Amino acid sequence: MPDRLAFRHVSKRFGAVTALDDVSFDVEAGTVHAVVGENGAGKSTLLKILAGIVRPDVGEIVWRDRPLGLARPREALEAGIGMVYQETLSFPALSVSANIFAGREIVGRFGRLDERAMHARTRDLLARLHVPVDPATPMDRLPAAYAQLVQVARALAFDCDLLVLDEPTTALTDAEVDHLMRVLEDLRTRGVTIVFVSHRIPEVFRLADRITVLRDGRFVDTFDRGTTSPDEVVRAMVGRVAAATSRETARAPAPGAVEMLTVRGLTRRPAFAGVSFEVRAGEVVGLFGLVGSGRSELLETIFGLARPDEGTVAVAGSDTSPGSARVAARAGLALVPEERQRQGLCFNLSLCDNLNMPRAETTGVVRIDRAAEAQVAEAQVASLAIRTPDTDRTPDALSGGNQQKVVVGKWLAASPRVLLLDEPTKGVDVGAKFELHRLIRRQADAGMACLIVSSELPEILALADRVLVMRQGRLRGELAGAAATEEAIMYLAAHDAEVTA
Amino acid sequence: MKRFWHAREFSTVAILLAEVLFFTWYLWPDGDRTHPFLNAANFLLIFKYSSIYGIAAIGAAIVIITGGIDLSPGAVIGLTSVVTGYFFVEAGWPLVPSMMAGLLVGVVAGLVSSWLIVTMKLPPFIATLGVMGIWRGAGFIITEARFYDLSRQLPTDGRLFGVPVDWIAPAIMIALAGAFHVLMRRYQWGRAVFAVGGNETAALFSGVAVGWVKTSAYVIAGLLAAVSGVVLAVVQGQGKADLATGYELDIIASAVVGGASLSGGRGSVVGAVLGALIFGVLRNALPQIPGATFYDRLIVGVVVIGIVVMDQLLVRRQRT
Repeated sequence: MPDRLAFRHVSKRFGAVTALDDVSFDVEAGTVHAVVGENGAGKSTLLKILAGIVRPDVGEIVWRDRPLGLARPREALEAGIGMVYQETLSFPALSVSANIFAGREIVGRFGRLDERAMHARTRDLLARLHVPVDPATPMDRLPAAYAQLVQVARALAFDCDLLVLDEPTTALTDAEVDHLMRVLEDLRTRGVTIVFVSHRIPEVFRLADRITVLRDGRFVDTFDRGTTSPDEVVRAMVGRVAAATSRETARAPAPGAVEMLTVRGLTRRPAFAGVSFEVRAGEVVGLFGLVGSGRSELLETIFGLARPDEGTVAVAGSDTSPGSARVAARAGLALVPEERQRQGLCFNLSLCDNLNMPRAETTGVVRIDRAAEAQVAEAQVASLAIRTPDTDRTPDALSGGNQQKVVVGKWLAASPRVLLLDEPTKGVDVGAKFELHRLIRRQADAGMACLIVSSELPEILALADRVLVMRQGRLRGELAGAAATEEAIMYLAAHDAEVTA
Repeated sequence: MKRFWHAREFSTVAILLAEVLFFTWYLWPDGDRTHPFLNAANFLLIFKYSSIYGIAAIGAAIVIITGGIDLSPGAVIGLTSVVTGYFFVEAGWPLVPSMMAGLLVGVVAGLVSSWLIVTMKLPPFIATLGVMGIWRGAGFIITEARFYDLSRQLPTDGRLFGVPVDWIAPAIMIALAGAFHVLMRRYQWGRAVFAVGGNETAALFSGVAVGWVKTSAYVIAGLLAAVSGVVLAVVQGQGKADLATGYELDIIASAVVGGASLSGGRGSVVGAVLGALIFGVLRNALPQIPGATFYDRLIVGVVVIGIVVMDQLLVRRQRT
């Protein structure tokens, strides 16, 4: 069977951590193969080895009977392997065409760049991927989905017949995911072999022919889509019977529960205008909106990161003068931001320092009490089940899901009254997602007011007692209890867009 | 993390010791003449001159840890000596108030730099480059290219406030290094300095008063440069506009050799002082090697690069 990609006894250790332990499996050429597993299962390491970025300690990868060099990214490219990374690598100021050809430009005589040839080729590639974008558009003007597809185009530009994607859909909205899925299905019919890593089980089942599960760096099993079920795959991933992610019973807030967060007429043009709502103690309110609806901007303004044009924010009835995150945090607000790496963690500080930072800042700690801080950190590690041997190490040693728990934990340690969460489970594996959901619920039950922004409707439906829907910078409605169905929310969120389209 | 810092300061101490051992061996005298390098008087001399850089390097390290840079300490030292000299010699003020006036120069310098950086959002390199020219120019305008001779009015017994003059600078340096070490490692302010340098956005999102932290760093850097300036004016007995010309680079180099990373979030004030001593030993010993006179700047340059490269290799090895 020559026509396949074969991983043979691949092992990789980083210091004391075993990332991959004797992993062997085959990917048939011309199929779509998903690699799934919890964070820290070794998926990303496996892809990095395939791309020639990380060298395995033992083992080899054979593609169409030829062992891959595995020493340099260049060799993977030359073997026809195209990589699309989780964080879109791009040059934001350069054009789409320059990004596609970066490092491998088409040149004329004397090394002069042949822009015309590159633009023409880019136009072809983008047409194949159904991306209606001019090749001269600067990269930073593209929405996330198109930026992702430009990466695919970059891989395809060089006759790649094996396309490897690491979490391609984390940054995308549902409609955008749909587009990407169609593109990948289309590529399969053209004979391109696709290997992708994902956390999202529905996507895996929509796209993949076969599904390989990794757990704790080991190969667990490979399933055929036709003969398995999502439950079976999830069980293999977590190694235990996952509790059903059924909807928690939405409860009306206790009568007389205090209004913890009161937003009145909040306006920040052009992102949003005239937004009023309240969140009571013990309530989880979902805020849903499509990308561009202004929901992230709203959250940032409530947390004081941007000054509103008009309107007020009050915590437990007392006005927090807007425009300073520090004032907001001291008033009892906490924000778990969307981008944990850029906005959530200091990678030069220990987990203990990170976990204590907001608490120390909001309570006015002057001198650091190491013993007390170690206890605070240990308590958060224990209650959030953060997987780390100790709290002296820096966050880069942790997997994405565990990093996210640290960001949540550092705010819980500050005992806020209102918890704002922006896409709290983005890029987080099923197990950690489930734990984060339970945790949010637990905080609400203990009397915290939670406002959660998510682009995943099932997440909103599973968590929220009430759902606020935003469209084009305004609140368009509020749904609670039985009225909060996927269809009803989506209708409010997308109504105008459909009418004008 | 803790172990890592200790390791980094430990390696700076090791380099300093290696350097001392090398010169002790290399400059070993014939017969029983006193050792030209290894003697108490010479060590005091090394300490005295290193302290001028060392005090300012503490401030430079703090600024660098926030992810910034301060090019103005040399100019601040010069202007401080001029202002101290002006009030002491021209205006006839007593010594202590004159010194206070000098220190005020540093605070003002820090406030101006941080206003440009925090409020006007100028890149620190450009802001402090401009500020450096302004303070140096101010010194020349005040002195009209003359200098104030403080030495005639200073006590002639080599003592100031009962302390031998030669001991003042080293004592101040060691005391300040100790105090700022504790502030940086045991106080929330210091942790905020590291957080701002490591990830400014995340620090802001954690409720850290980022602007205030940066302002405090530049004000401290200005104040410590002014302390260097006052000490230099008293030790040399001069207030002169072109004093400490080019010191900014040695001060920054001391902080970097002591472990401060120019990309921010990493560094040590004790390391900065050790870095200043590493340069102090080189400057003191190299001229004593026959024929090495023309090589000393070159050797200092090679040493800076060598130490930083070694540090990077060490960090890389710890990561993998």
